[in-house]
Amino acid sequence: MSEHPIRLVVSDDLERDRLTAFFRWLLAIPHLIWIALWSIAALLAAIVNWAATLILARSPGWLHRFLAAYVKYATQLYAYLYLAANPYPTFDGQDGYPVDLSIAPPARQSRWTVALRGLLLLPAALIVTALTGAPGGTTSFRRQGSFSLNFGLLYVAAVLAWFAIMARGRMPRGLRDAAAYALSYGAQFWGYALLLTDRYPNSDPLDAVPDLPARADPIHVRVDDDLRRSRLTVFFRLPLAFPHLVWLVLWGIAALLAAIVSWVATLFTGRSPAWAHRFLCAYLRYQLHVYAFLHLIANPFPGFVGRAGSYPLELAVAERQRQNRWKTGFRLVLLIPALLLASAYGTLAATVALLGWFSSLARARMPRGMRNAGALALRYQAQTFGYALLLTDAYPYSGPVRAGVAEAGAGAGEGGGDEGPLASASPAPERPDTPGALPDVGLT
Amino acid sequence: MPGARAAWQSALARPARSSLTLLALAAFAALWALAAHALWHSTVPSGLRLAHVDPREMFSARFLARSSSYDRFLQVDALLGQLTLVVVLALYARRGHRLMRESAAGRIGTGMMLGMLGFAVLWIAEVPFGLAAVWWERRHGISHQGYVSSLLTSFLSLGGKFLFVSLALLLAMGLAGVLRRWWWAVAAPAFAGLALLSSFLSIYLIPNTHPLRDRQTTAEVRELARVERVAGTRAEVQDVKRRTTAPNAESVGFGSTRRVILWDTLLDGRFPRDQVRVVIAHELGHIAHHHILERVGWLALFLLPAAGLVALFTRRRGGLARPEAVPVALFVFVLLQLLSVPLTNIVSRRDESEADWSALQATHDPAAARALFRNLATTSLANPDPPTWTYVLYDDHPTIVQRIAMVDAWQARGGR
Repeated sequence: MSEHPIRLVVSDDLERDRLTAFFRWLLAIPHLIWIALWSIAALLAAIVNWAATLILARSPGWLHRFLAAYVKYATQLYAYLYLAANPYPTFDGQDGYPVDLSIAPPARQSRWTVALRGLLLLPAALIVTALTGAPGGTTSFRRQGSFSLNFGLLYVAAVLAWFAIMARGRMPRGLRDAAAYALSYGAQFWGYALLLTDRYPNSDPLDAVPDLPARADPIHVRVDDDLRRSRLTVFFRLPLAFPHLVWLVLWGIAALLAAIVSWVATLFTGRSPAWAHRFLCAYLRYQLHVYAFLHLIANPFPGFVGRAGSYPLELAVAERQRQNRWKTGFRLVLLIPALLLASAYGTLAATVALLGWFSSLARARMPRGMRNAGALALRYQAQTFGYALLLTDAYPYSGPVRAGVAEAGAGAGEGGGDEGPLASASPAPERPDTPGALPDVGLT
Repeated sequence: MPGARAAWQSALARPARSSLTLLALAAFAALWALAAHALWHSTVPSGLRLAHVDPREMFSARFLARSSSYDRFLQVDALLGQLTLVVVLALYARRGHRLMRESAAGRIGTGMMLGMLGFAVLWIAEVPFGLAAVWWERRHGISHQGYVSSLLTSFLSLGGKFLFVSLALLLAMGLAGVLRRWWWAVAAPAFAGLALLSSFLSIYLIPNTHPLRDRQTTAEVRELARVERVAGTRAEVQDVKRRTTAPNAESVGFGSTRRVILWDTLLDGRFPRDQVRVVIAHELGHIAHHHILERVGWLALFLLPAAGLVALFTRRRGGLARPEAVPVALFVFVLLQLLSVPLTNIVSRRDESEADWSALQATHDPAAARALFRNLATTSLANPDPPTWTYVLYDDHPTIVQRIAMVDAWQARGGR
C-alpha cells in the first residue's frame, strides 16, 4: 500500500531544555489563544471545503492549503505542549519543526466517503481518544465514589516525560515515540475530518514514526499472526475467554505469592530463584496469550498452561540475570510510571478490541494497523508485569519498535534508550533491520 | 498349532465375556432400580384419589381461552426451539471438529473450546425462539424485559455456561485420558458430587437477593419451619420485578445453606398474607423432605447410563480423550437430557405434590391454598388444565386443577 498522504516527519534530537519544559504550558499560552482563533476559521473553512469537495470530488487548492497549514500548526503545537519536541513553534506552521507533518497536495476523493465523512470518522474518533485523550482529559465521578480518567497515551507520556526531563534534560526515546505515534494518528484523523485526504487514519504504530529502533529487550513479544479471524470465535470472544480469565485469576494468586518470595530472594541474592523465574515466565506468557485472544490480537483459542511456542503472540523472556538490588528494593515505587502508561495502553488495547470485533465479524480479518497497535499495547503491559514480577530489572520500553532480530537477554537497546523513571538500563548497540525475519509484524 | 489353540481359546472366551458383561449390566440395572425405588418414596398417601375438578367452575371462559392461547404459543415456541436445537447439535456433531483449527490449546483446551462453541452455536439457533417468547410475554404483560436487554442478558450468561462446560470437559476428558473406555464410571459420581457441591453453594449464586425484612412474614417462616421440623431455615427475597410480573418461590441449599427464596413479585400485595404463608410452607416442605438431595440422587442415576452412552457413541471419534469427540458427546448428552425430560417431570411433579401436601399439613388452611393456586394461575397466565402433550413434555409442577383437587382430597380426609 502507498504511503499515507499525511505523514509525520521527526528530526527531534531528544535534547530538552529544563527551563522551557518546566514552564511549557505557560509558555504556550499565546499559541493556545492563537489556535483557538484559527480553529474557528478552520471550522468555517471545513464546512465550505466539504461542500466544494462533494461537488468537485477534490478539495480546492486554497482551502486545502489553509486547512493543511492548520493541521500542521496544531501538530507542531501539540508536539511542543506534550514535550515531543523542544523548540518554541512558529505561529504559522512553517516547515522544519522537529516534529512536523508532510501533507500531500489535494487528490481526487470519493464523493460517497466525503458525504458520509461524519459517520466514517466515528471508529477513528475512538482510537484518537485512546491515543490523545478527550480534549483536556475527562474525569467522571460515579455515584459510588469511584472515578475513571481518560487522558490518553499522549498525556500520560507527557507527564512521565516531564519528570524524566527535569532529571536528565533529555526526552526518553520510547516516550517521545509513543507521543509521536499519538500525534501522527491525531494528524491523520484531523486531515481526514477536514477532507485533506480520503485515506483513513492508519493506526499502525510501525508506520507512524520514521526510523523506529530495533531493540533486544529481555522481555519482548514476537507476532506471527496471519490476521485471519474466525467469525464464530470472534462473536463469542468474551464468553469464550471467561474460563481463561477465571484460571488467570487463580494462577495470579499463586504468581503473587511466588513474586513476593522472589522479591525477598532477589533482594538478598541478587537473582530471582530459578523455580520462581520459570513459574512466573509461564504465568506471564499465559497472560499474554489470554489478553491477545481477548483483544483479538490473535485468533486461536489459547492453551491453559502458557506453553512456549504455542501461540501466534509469543513472549520471549531472557534467562534470569543478576538484578540491581536498589531497583529490586524499590520495585513497587519504580513501577508506578510504568503502570500509568500500561493503563493508557490498556485503553488503547480495549478500543482496538472493540473496533476489531466489528471489523473481524464483517471481514473475517483483523486490520493490520489495529492488530499492531494492540500488540504494542500488550507488549508494553507484558514488560510492565515482567518488571513487577522481577523477571528482569530492565525498565519497560514505552515506544513502538521496529521489526527485526531480538534476542532475549541482550539488555535494553538503543536510541536514547530506556526511559526508566530516572535511570536507564544497560545500552546495547542498535541492530540492523532484517527484512523478512518477522514479515508482517514488527513488534519485537 | 499355537494359532488354532489361540482361536479355540478366543472362541471360548467370547461367550464368557458376553455373559460377564450381561451379568454386570443386570447387576447394575438391579442396583439402579433399587436406588430409584428408594428415591421414589413420598409422604403423600398412596391411595389418595384426586377427584376431577372442572376448571370452568373456577375460572372465567375468557381467562381459560386467554391462558390456553398464551401457553400454547410458548409451548409450540419451546418445542420448535428444541427441535432446532437437536438439528443444530446433530450438524455440529458432524462438522464441529473442523473448528479445531481455531485452537492453539492442547487436547483438553481444544475440547473445551469445541464444547463452548457448541453452546455458542445453540445460543445463535435459539435467539429467534427466545425473542419470540419475550415478545409474547411482553404482549401479555408478563415480562417487562426489553429485547436488547434480554439478548444481552442471555449473551452474558453464556460466560457462566462456558465456565461450567469447560470444567465438565476438563474432568471428563482428563479422566478419559487416564481411564480410557471406563472414564464414565468415575466421571458420573464425580459430576454428581459436583452437583451436590453446587446445590450446597447455590444460595451464593442467586443474584439480587436480600434478607426478608417484613417482621410478621419472618415470624411465620420461623413458626412454619418449626412445624415442618426444619427449624432455623431462613427466607430471603429476590428482586425480579424489573423483568417480570410472574410470582414464584424456590427452596435452595441444604444443611447450613438451606433457604427459602421468595420473589418480590409474590410480596407486592397481589397475594394476601395467608396465601404467602402457604407458599412458604410449600417451600419448607421441599426442604423437610430433602427434595434437593433427592434431585442430586436422581441426577446421579441419570448420569451413570448417560455418561456410559456418551462413552459408547464417542468411540468412533477415538473416545472422549480426543477433542474431535466433544461435538458428538455434546449431541448425545443433550439428546439424552431432552429425552429424559418427561421422566424428570414425573419426578418433579411428585416432589411438588409432596410439598403441597406438606404445606396443607403445616398450615391447615385449604381455603388459602385453593385461593393461592387460583391466584397463581391468573397472575402468571398459566393454563389450569393444559393438554396432555404439554403436560408430559413441559409441566414440572402438577396442573392447577390437580393441585386444587389435592386440596379437596386433603379436606375430604379430614385434614390429615
